Amino acid sequence: MKAVKKIDQFYLLKQLPTATALLDQKGTLLDASSSWLNIFGLPPQENTTKTNVFSLYPEVLDLELQLLEQKSFTIQHQLKNPEGTRYLKSSFAPWFDNKENVIGAIIQTDDITSEVKKEEEIKWLKTILETKVEVSHTGWWEFDMIKEELTWCKETKRIHQVPDCFQPTTIEAINFYKTGYSQNKVSMLFHNSMVNHQPFDAEVILVTFEGEDRWVRVTGKPIIENGKAIKIYGTIKDIHEQVLSETKIQEHQQLLTTLVDSLPLNVYVKDLKTRKILVNKSECNYLGKKAEEIIGKTDFDLYDEEIARVSWEEDISVMKNLSPIIGKETINILNGKATNYLTSKIPYFDIEGKVCGLIGVSLDITSMKRKEEQLRDLIKVTSMQNQKLISFAHIVSHNLRSHSANFSMLLEFLNSEKNPEERQRIIKMLSKASDNLLETLGNLNQVVDINTKTSETKRPLKLRQNIISVLGNLAALLEKNDSEIINNVSEAIEVNCVPAYLDSIILNLVSNAVKYKSDKRKSLVTIDAVKSNEGVLLSISDNGIGINLAKYGDKVFGMYKTFHNRKDAKGFGLYLVKNQIEAMGGSITVQSEIDKGTTFNVYFNEES
Amino acid sequence: MYILMKKVSCIFIVDDDPITVFGIKKMLKSAVSCDDIQIFQNGLEAHEAYQERIEEGKSAPNVIFLDINMPIMDGWEFLDELIASNPKEHITVNMITSSIDPLDYKKWNSFKIRCPFTLNFKNKPIFKIEGNELGFIEIAS
Repeated sequence: MKAVKKIDQFYLLKQLPTATALLDQKGTLLDASSSWLNIFGLPPQENTTKTNVFSLYPEVLDLELQLLEQKSFTIQHQLKNPEGTRYLKSSFAPWFDNKENVIGAIIQTDDITSEVKKEEEIKWLKTILETKVEVSHTGWWEFDMIKEELTWCKETKRIHQVPDCFQPTTIEAINFYKTGYSQNKVSMLFHNSMVNHQPFDAEVILVTFEGEDRWVRVTGKPIIENGKAIKIYGTIKDIHEQVLSETKIQEHQQLLTTLVDSLPLNVYVKDLKTRKILVNKSECNYLGKKAEEIIGKTDFDLYDEEIARVSWEEDISVMKNLSPIIGKETINILNGKATNYLTSKIPYFDIEGKVCGLIGVSLDITSMKRKEEQLRDLIKVTSMQNQKLISFAHIVSHNLRSHSANFSMLLEFLNSEKNPEERQRIIKMLSKASDNLLETLGNLNQVVDINTKTSETKRPLKLRQNIISVLGNLAALLEKNDSEIINNVSEAIEVNCVPAYLDSIILNLVSNAVKYKSDKRKSLVTIDAVKSNEGVLLSISDNGIGINLAKYGDKVFGMYKTFHNRKDAKGFGLYLVKNQIEAMGGSITVQSEIDKGTTFNVYFNEES
Repeated sequence: MYILMKKVSCIFIVDDDPITVFGIKKMLKSAVSCDDIQIFQNGLEAHEAYQERIEEGKSAPNVIFLDINMPIMDGWEFLDELIASNPKEHITVNMITSSIDPLDYKKWNSFKIRCPFTLNFKNKPIFKIEGNELGFIEIAS
């Protein structure tokens, strides 16, 4: 009966799901469940196999002593085999018989390998987190919403400049932020995170425990369980130096941008491929485009091929030779409009000292240039007028002087002359000298008049009609010399002229052409006129004796210069004509060949 | 006053101003005795007459009164021709001008240097013709 009972008991033991073993008081294994034997790698137990349990727990030295105390206890131990280490937990409990006598012990063993591994992993993660905090100076905080408990890590406390033992409350934590924007912002974000489950990330000012204002970046993220936020986890990082230097950089940037933009210069920066990477306001205004439309473009995209090429060659030379161009006068043509610039191009170096482009600065000097040109024109006109004045003064002094010299001489004669007949001759000479002086004065007056009269009296005149009327006045002269005049001037041609001057010009040139006819042939005078963009060109040609221009070229239009031994040549007509034409802004030239003829070309200036 | 009027064989007056010519002639009358005074209106006329004289084997004029500003050929051009002809006899040339242009005076100076004969510069008005202007050597009394 007893044997049957025993077998039943042990058979039951074998099938237990938890690994269980029975020991006698000496520590000898009586029997165990299959799973227990499996853990320790033991064969099924029989009466003859006396396995000592202590040998199975070699690392627990006092197992025997503990068992003797007849109390429950738990130990952790390891089993090493080729597949790795198994972590085990064995609970020992005294085994009582029905009379409450201890007859042995019961062991229950659990495989806790996975739990141990997880614990190790957590430990590892904690280490990593701590390292991260230490390296990145980013602290963390955690708010347990159920316990309403706030936890700060060491770094977070360091950032707040509080001692390690400080235990913050939520209100205290929020009060650390600067009153006003920072504090309001953090409270709002924190609340939003709890209620609406929104994560946050903000840059705000913290007033530390020691009263110092510091910029911090604070983040937070709710941890949701079953649709409810149970915790908020977040980080905090001191970014004070970074914000300060960023602010400084921004201030510098702002200063530079304002400066560059308000300079009355076109400023641009180009990269190594001559693409514009920065332009200021002046440059944008000049190109008539927004900065975004210019950035990334080369001169080839903005200007005509020819202009772009010149600029490109300069750019390449500056970047290749690292030699700047300073204050070079250039002309830019944009949409057909030319602008004069004083251009400088300077190589642009990066932080490592390598060339990475160029900086261009251009000063618009168009108006200065125009003024300079006006000034130069003015100087030219002035010096021409001055020259004319000197020459006129010379003529006046010479001509008047020669007359006064004659007067002096004749009067001296008259003083010492006794002979009445001779005296009469001298007086006749004196009156002739007086006539000459009057004539000279009259001529000079005419010239002065021309040069002082304004051009207001200019008006459009029909050239052909004027020629015909002058020819009418010259009828007697023409008839006497048997001259033929061919007037080819078309009815349509008009010249802007002072009427009296036009008459004088035609009269002098035609009468000269007739007077200096050749005895060898019939006198023929041809008058032509051509209208072009520059104005009207009047040509009066004859087949007369001609002028030796190689010899007298520079004197033809001079005052009192005559080249023909003729009584009626006074050397005044052409001088007068030249003055009249020039006073109207025109010019006169002469072509001649001896014994062939002479042509005078008169260019009328059509501007009023 | 003059015991014996000095004699000059030939004088040229080259000037286009009849009043000046009249004056020179009048002044010459009281200064020198000359039977051959020739008047020319410009340099070319005088030059042609001079050439003719040389070709005919006559002597060059002893004295020439020469205006500067004249048509066709002026005084300077005439001087150029005269120097080029390299006259054998001594000639006294008196440049007569109303010009007070310093350029004319400078030009006279440069001509004087290369002139093989006497070259005087006389500014108008003239009231008297001096002995040296007629080629006489003045003897200080």
